[in-house]
Amino acid sequence: MAQELLLTRNIHRERSETIDVYLRHGGYEALRKVLKGTTPEALLNEVKASELRGRGGAGFPAGMKWSFLPKTKDKPRYLCVNADESEPGTFKDRLLIEKDPHLVLEGIILASYAIECHTAFFYIRGEFHRGARTFEKAIAEAYQKGFLGKNILGSGYDLDVLVYRGAGAYICGEETALLESLEGKRGLPRLKPPFPAVVGLYGCPTIINNVETLANVPYIAERGAAWFASIGRPKNTGPKLFCLSGHVRKPGVYEAPLGIPLLELLNDRAGGMLHPDRPLKACVPGGSSMKILPASRCDVLLDFDSLAAAGTSLGSAGGMVMDSSTCMVGALLNLAEFYAHESCGQCTPCREGTGWFVQVLRRLETGQGRPEDPDLLIDVARKVEGNTICPFGEAVAWPVGSYVAEFRSEFDDHVTRKACPFGAASVR
Amino acid sequence: MSATTIPVSPETDRRIDAVLDRYPRRSSALLPALHLVQEEKGWVSTEAMEYVAGKLGVAPAFVAGVVSFYTMFHRRPVGKHHLQICRTLSCMLRGSRDTMNHLASRLGIGPGEVTRDGQFSLEWVECLGACDTAPCAQVNDEDVPLLDQAAADALVERLRGKR
Amino acid sequence: MPDPNPPAPPPGPAPAPQAAAAPAGPALPPCGPDEVALLIDGRPVVVKKGTNVLQAAAGLGVEVPHYCYHPGLSVAGNCRMCLVEIEKMPKLQIGCATIAAQGMVVKTTTPRVGTTRAAMMEFLLINHPLDCPICDQAGECRLQQYSAEYGKGQSRFVDEKVHHDKRVPIGERIVFDGERCIKCTRCVRFCEEVTGTRELTLVDRGGHAIIDTFPGKPLDNAYSGNTVDICPVGALTWKPFRFQARVWFLKNVPSICTGCARGCNVDLATYDHKVHRITPRQNADVNGWWMCDYGRQTHLPAQEGKRLERAAGAGAGSAGTAAGDALDQAAAILQAAASRHGKGSVAAVVSARLSIEDLHAARTTLAAAGIERVAVPPHDEGADDALLIRRDRTPNARGAALVGFGAPAAATAAALAGDIATGRVKALLVIGEDPAGDGWLPASALQNLEALVVIDAFRTATAEAAQVSLPSTAYGESEGVFVNCTGRAQRTRAAVRPQAAADPVWAILRELGRRFGAASSWTSAAQVFEEAARTYPAFAGMTHRALGEIGAPVRGE
Repeated sequence: MAQELLLTRNIHRERSETIDVYLRHGGYEALRKVLKGTTPEALLNEVKASELRGRGGAGFPAGMKWSFLPKTKDKPRYLCVNADESEPGTFKDRLLIEKDPHLVLEGIILASYAIECHTAFFYIRGEFHRGARTFEKAIAEAYQKGFLGKNILGSGYDLDVLVYRGAGAYICGEETALLESLEGKRGLPRLKPPFPAVVGLYGCPTIINNVETLANVPYIAERGAAWFASIGRPKNTGPKLFCLSGHVRKPGVYEAPLGIPLLELLNDRAGGMLHPDRPLKACVPGGSSMKILPASRCDVLLDFDSLAAAGTSLGSAGGMVMDSSTCMVGALLNLAEFYAHESCGQCTPCREGTGWFVQVLRRLETGQGRPEDPDLLIDVARKVEGNTICPFGEAVAWPVGSYVAEFRSEFDDHVTRKACPFGAASVR
Repeated sequence: MSATTIPVSPETDRRIDAVLDRYPRRSSALLPALHLVQEEKGWVSTEAMEYVAGKLGVAPAFVAGVVSFYTMFHRRPVGKHHLQICRTLSCMLRGSRDTMNHLASRLGIGPGEVTRDGQFSLEWVECLGACDTAPCAQVNDEDVPLLDQAAADALVERLRGKR
Repeated sequence: MPDPNPPAPPPGPAPAPQAAAAPAGPALPPCGPDEVALLIDGRPVVVKKGTNVLQAAAGLGVEVPHYCYHPGLSVAGNCRMCLVEIEKMPKLQIGCATIAAQGMVVKTTTPRVGTTRAAMMEFLLINHPLDCPICDQAGECRLQQYSAEYGKGQSRFVDEKVHHDKRVPIGERIVFDGERCIKCTRCVRFCEEVTGTRELTLVDRGGHAIIDTFPGKPLDNAYSGNTVDICPVGALTWKPFRFQARVWFLKNVPSICTGCARGCNVDLATYDHKVHRITPRQNADVNGWWMCDYGRQTHLPAQEGKRLERAAGAGAGSAGTAAGDALDQAAAILQAAASRHGKGSVAAVVSARLSIEDLHAARTTLAAAGIERVAVPPHDEGADDALLIRRDRTPNARGAALVGFGAPAAATAAALAGDIATGRVKALLVIGEDPAGDGWLPASALQNLEALVVIDAFRTATAEAAQVSLPSTAYGESEGVFVNCTGRAQRTRAAVRPQAAADPVWAILRELGRRFGAASSWTSAAQVFEEAARTYPAFAGMTHRALGEIGAPVRGE
C-alpha cells in the first residue's frame, strides 16, 4: 500500500517554502474551513480525539496538554513553538522549517485559534540561520495574504506570530528553559509545578508545542480525528518523521506511519548499513538521550509504546546507527561531553555528575580506567536520575546507564587491556 | 556612556531601539539586541554588554550572565571566517574529528583559536541538527554540509579567495 | 559565616493533640479554614496554608538538610539536598518547593532519602577543595555538618577537580573563593531581591558555572556582609574576619547594634575578652535576617579608639586621679559655678547614644544637681534608606524623648553653644558627646567655661579640654535598654569586660549624684531599668528579663 505523504508532501517541490506553492497544493484550506464554522473548543476536542502525541521527545498527548489551560481569561495566553531542535541525531523540524514552513505556520495558526491565544512565538535555535530567515519570510507572506494579523479571513480572530532566535543552548529545548530564554534570561529550567499551562511565559498560561506536532494539526482539522487515528497504531497515531544518521547509507528524514519496524526503516528506506562488511552493532532510536538498543534488540517497532516496552523511547525520533567499527566507550564519551557542555549547571547532581562522567569515560577510553569504573558510572547515573530539576538528568543518566549495561564487556575490556580495543585516537 | 561613545554603529543602535518594544515585555529584547551587536561587531565586548544593559534597563552583571550562558555569543573576537565543526555523535561517526584535525594543521591553530592574520578561527560546536549531511559545519552563519577533509580544503581555498 | 537560618518555624504550627489513632496510623487533627494537617514521619502537624514541607518539618523539630533555601529569599530548589519522600509521588520532592497539603504524608528518614542525601553530598564534595584547615567557615559550615550527618564518609572521586579562582576580591569587604562555591545562588538572589543592586550573577554554565561581578562593578552595596552570612560554605568571607578566630572558640552574646536608630538585633561573637565579629540575629519585627555593613564594624572603636583610660582631674599627672577624688572635683566645680553665677549658668549635654539606664540616671543626677538646661545633639547622616539604615545615627533618640529630654535637636544645641560663647553658660557636664570634635562647640567657646566635666569612653577633643574626665564603658562592655525608631525597647548585653577603669555611665552618675544629695543605690543596670519602668509610663511594667532577647514595643506604641 503506497503511503500517502502528508508531512513531506511538499518538500521536494521547487520553491516549496513559498506561499504560492503551498496554496497551489491545497494550503490553508484547513484554516479556511475552521475559521468558517468550527469553534476553538471543537477544534481542541478534535485534536484530543486524534490522540496526536507530542513530537518533541516526551510524547505527551497534545490535545490533553491544551486542555490544561485554565478556564479563566484574565491573562493573555501564549503559544510557543519549540523549534530549538538540538537533540543529537534529530533534524526533522529543520526540514519542515526550511522546506514547508507554511504547513507549520498553518498548524500554528490553528493551534493558536484552538487555545484562544493571540500571540504566538516561534523559538528557533540560533544556529538555524536559514530556517529563521525562511520562517520570517513565510510569516510576512502570511500577513500579506491575510492569514495573520487582525481579523484573519474575516473571522474576527487576531493573531501575531513573532520569531525569537536562541543563541546556542540545548537546554532551551526544555519547555520552561525555553520560556526563560524567551524572557531574555539564562535558559535555566523552572521548578514544576506550576506548569506552563498555568504559569508560563511572563507568568501567563502558555502552551509549548514542537514544530512537527503542529504540522499535523492542519491535517487533523481538515480530515478529522478518526482519519488521523487510522494512521499508525492505537495510542500511537498519525504520520511521523523519522531521522536516521550515522553509519547508514542514506541518512535523512523518512516519513512513515508510527509503528514502522526499525529494521524496515533502516534497510528498506535508508539503504541499509554504510559499509556492507560492518554489520549493525547498536542503534539509538530516539535521539541521544534515549537508551541504546544493541543489534540483538533492534527488531522493534518505532512508536512510543513499543519502544517503551523495549526499555527505551521514541523520543525525538533521532535515530543514530552504529556499526561494528564503533567503540561504545568512545561513543558514550562523545555524548557525555555533549551533556557536560550543555548542562545548565543549576542543580547539584547534573552540574557535578555530567563532568564526572566525562572524566571517568576519558580515563576508560585512554586506558586508564579502573575495574570499579563501569559500576561507578552505573551508580552515579542512578543517583542523577530522578533527582534533578528537569529531565536533563534522565537525558544523561539513561545513555550512561544503558551503554554500560548493554556493552559491559567492552567497558571491562578497556580496563583489562589498559587501552581501547578499537585503537581510539587520543580524545580531545 | 554618551551618544558619541556607544560601542556600536548608529544603525545598530537604531535597530536595537526598534526591537525594544517588539515583545510584550521589554526583557525579551535582550537576546535579539545581543544578536544585533554581534552581527555588526562579530563579538560582544564588555563595553557592549554595559551598553545593552543600559538600553534594557537591567544590571550589567545580568547581561554578562546571559552572554556567557549561550555559546553563540563570542566574548572575544573571532576570525573573519569562523569555522564551527560539529563534534557530536553522528558527525563523529562520519569523521568530524579527522576534519577538525585536518583544518587545525592546515590553518596552524587549534579549536578556540584565531589565526594571526585574523582570517580564520576554529571552534567545536555541538549537534547542528543536520546529521544527514555529516560531518557538518558552519562558517559564520552559512551551513557547510558534508565537510570531509577534501571539502575542507576546498572551503578554505574559497574563503581565502574572498578577502 | 553563621547562617541565621535553621528554617524559621512556620507561623502558628501546633503539634496536634494525639487523636485516638485509626489502625492505619495517627488520624489527622482538625484544622481551621486557613490551615492544613499533614503527617511528617508519622507525626501529625497543623500548619498555615502556604507553608512548605521544609518549614512544616522544622516546626516539628525535624531537620531537613538544605543549602539553597532561605526564608528571606525566593525558592531556587537547586541544591537538591532537601529531597524527601511524599506518598503517592513516585519521585522524591524537594521540601522547600513543595507546599504542605491536607493529608500529605511526608517521610524524611527512609533509606531512599538517606541514600539520596548521601548522593547529593557526594556530588557537592567531588569538586570541593579540601580547604577546611584554612577556611573561615569551619565549624559553621553546612558541608561539614551535613557530611558528618548524612555523608558517605569516603570519596570515590579520583579525578581532577574543577578549578576556579580563589581569593577573588569581589568587593571591598568580601573575598570570594570560586572553588568552595556550591552555586546555591543565595548571594545572587540576595542582591536581586533584598538590596536590588544586582551586582552578582552566575556566568558560564554546567560544571563551570560560577559567581561573578561585572568588571568595574564590585559587590559594594551597604549590605554586602549579609551575603557572607547566608553563604552556606566558605565561598564568601568577610575580609575583616578572615583568619581572625576559629568559630568554635567564639561565644555569641545577643545584643543590639547601636550604629543607628534601627537597632538591628545582633550577635557579638566574643573570644578572649574581645569581640571578633558582629552578625545579625533574626528578628522579624526589626531587621528580619539582615544588618548593614557599617553596623558590623561598630565593635572596633571600643578596641581601637583612644580610650579614656582613667579618671583625670584638674592638675592630674599621667597617673590620673583616683576616681573618688575626680568625682569630688567634678561636683565641686559644677557647684562652684552655680553658686557664683546662678543655676542657669550650668548646663548639660546628654547623648541619644546612651541607654535608658544611663539617661534615667542622668535625669536623677541633673535634678539633684539643679541642672535644668540640657541639650541632646542630633547625629544625622544621609537619609533613611529603603531597607534598614536610618538617617538618625543614634540608637536611642526615642528613648531620650521618652525619658523627658526631648528628641535630639540641633537648634537647642546651637543655642547652648551660643550661650557658652557669650559667657551666659559657665559650666558644662557632657555625657557621651563630643561637641568640640563634632564641631558645634568651637574650641574658643570651650575656653570660656569655668567648669567642664566629661563622662565618656573615649579621649575626645572635649574630654581633652575638660577639667575632669570620667571614663565610661564603650559598646559591648555594659548592659542597657535602647528604644529604636519604631518604638521598640531592646537590650544590649555586656559581651566583654570593660577596658581599663571604665564604669557604666549610670554608675558614674550614681556617684556624682550622691555628691549632690541624690540617694540612688543602684547596683545593676536591671535595677536602674526597673526604676525607670516605674518612672516613665512608656516602660511601665517592663524588666530586663521580660524584654529578653527580642525586646518589646514601649507602651502606647
